[in-house]
Amino acid sequence: MSATESISVTTTKTKSFLAGGLAVMPLTIAVIPWGILAGSFALEVGLTAVESQAMSAIIFAGSAQLVALGMIKAGIGIGSILITTLLITSRHLLYAMAMRTHISPLPLKWRLGLGFLLTDELFAIANQAHHGDKPIQHQFDRWYALGGGLTFYIGWNIATLLGIVAGQSIDNLGELGLDFAIAATFIALVVPTVKKPSILVCVVVSLTLAVVCAVFAIQAGLLIAAISGMAAGMGYAKFTNEDSKVSAASNSKNDHSDSASSEHAHSVTAHSDTSRSVAAHKDKNV
Amino acid sequence: MTWLIILSMAAVVFVSRHLLLEPKLPIRLSKNTLTFLSYSAPAVLTAILAPIVFVPEGQLAISVHNPYLTCALVATVLAYVTRNTLLTTVLSMGLFFILY
Repeated sequence: MSATESISVTTTKTKSFLAGGLAVMPLTIAVIPWGILAGSFALEVGLTAVESQAMSAIIFAGSAQLVALGMIKAGIGIGSILITTLLITSRHLLYAMAMRTHISPLPLKWRLGLGFLLTDELFAIANQAHHGDKPIQHQFDRWYALGGGLTFYIGWNIATLLGIVAGQSIDNLGELGLDFAIAATFIALVVPTVKKPSILVCVVVSLTLAVVCAVFAIQAGLLIAAISGMAAGMGYAKFTNEDSKVSAASNSKNDHSDSASSEHAHSVTAHSDTSRSVAAHKDKNV
Repeated sequence: MTWLIILSMAAVVFVSRHLLLEPKLPIRLSKNTLTFLSYSAPAVLTAILAPIVFVPEGQLAISVHNPYLTCALVATVLAYVTRNTLLTTVLSMGLFFILY
């Protein structure tokens, strides 16, 4: 390889890396209040500053961290914390499954690195970048993914540090309403995934049970609500044989909004749903 | 004890992310398992956000005076119409901090 070629390869890598960082920037900004909350709440629960930062640096999973902190505060044991963590993190199995075709042929250090950095946000940008007619099999760019993943990791940890510093000087940071950032982010992530009636059933069941459990202060509320929601969604899909008539269903059964029907049907056909694309990836692998 | 929790949680999270990226592992999740998992993200994320929105002070608060609820409704509409994560998050949080 000549010197100019090697320079141009390096430039391409840098460009991809920076493009990935840029793509994840909006989500990184949106996660700042949430990171501040993770840092300050950890202090409030009784962790030291180092432990608080270590949660973000080593675990790197916002929702699992915040839920675990709430459980530590309530005096719940490590076994329950780990089971809850397993449930919250189980969606990553699916993300990994979907990205398996791209990442599994890479060298170990890439697999470990991208595996560690695989979050909702990285998964979102890695797929957005290659949407359209050609799904993610094509032109998966490891440097793009690394740039996105690392940027998000650094942003999350800086936000946590801010929360730790602020939490030491400002009391009751938790009462500033920072937790709404979690709700807003999750709403923005969940709503676009509701592409078929069974997912709506899943969300409604999960929401209702989570609220009921919260009102009655039932500690295992998250587990009960999430597993019931998943089972209800899957049950509904099986019962109505949804997958075989998904486009018809989205036209006729979509009664929660008039203007949405056409867009809804469009989105079903335009983006294949996660389970299908995963199934497709799986077939390719075997 | 805190460190044990942190490290074991980190292990659980990392394994869930990395396991299926391993080429040597002949893992084949059944179709049913994959279908079940496809509902995991909406179910888990909803189960985390719902109590924040509906039960902000430990009591059910379905009222226009609950800024969590009103702003969550705004966020839902924004997300539905725009399908834009950043716009939804920033606008609804901006509104929230005005109302809160």
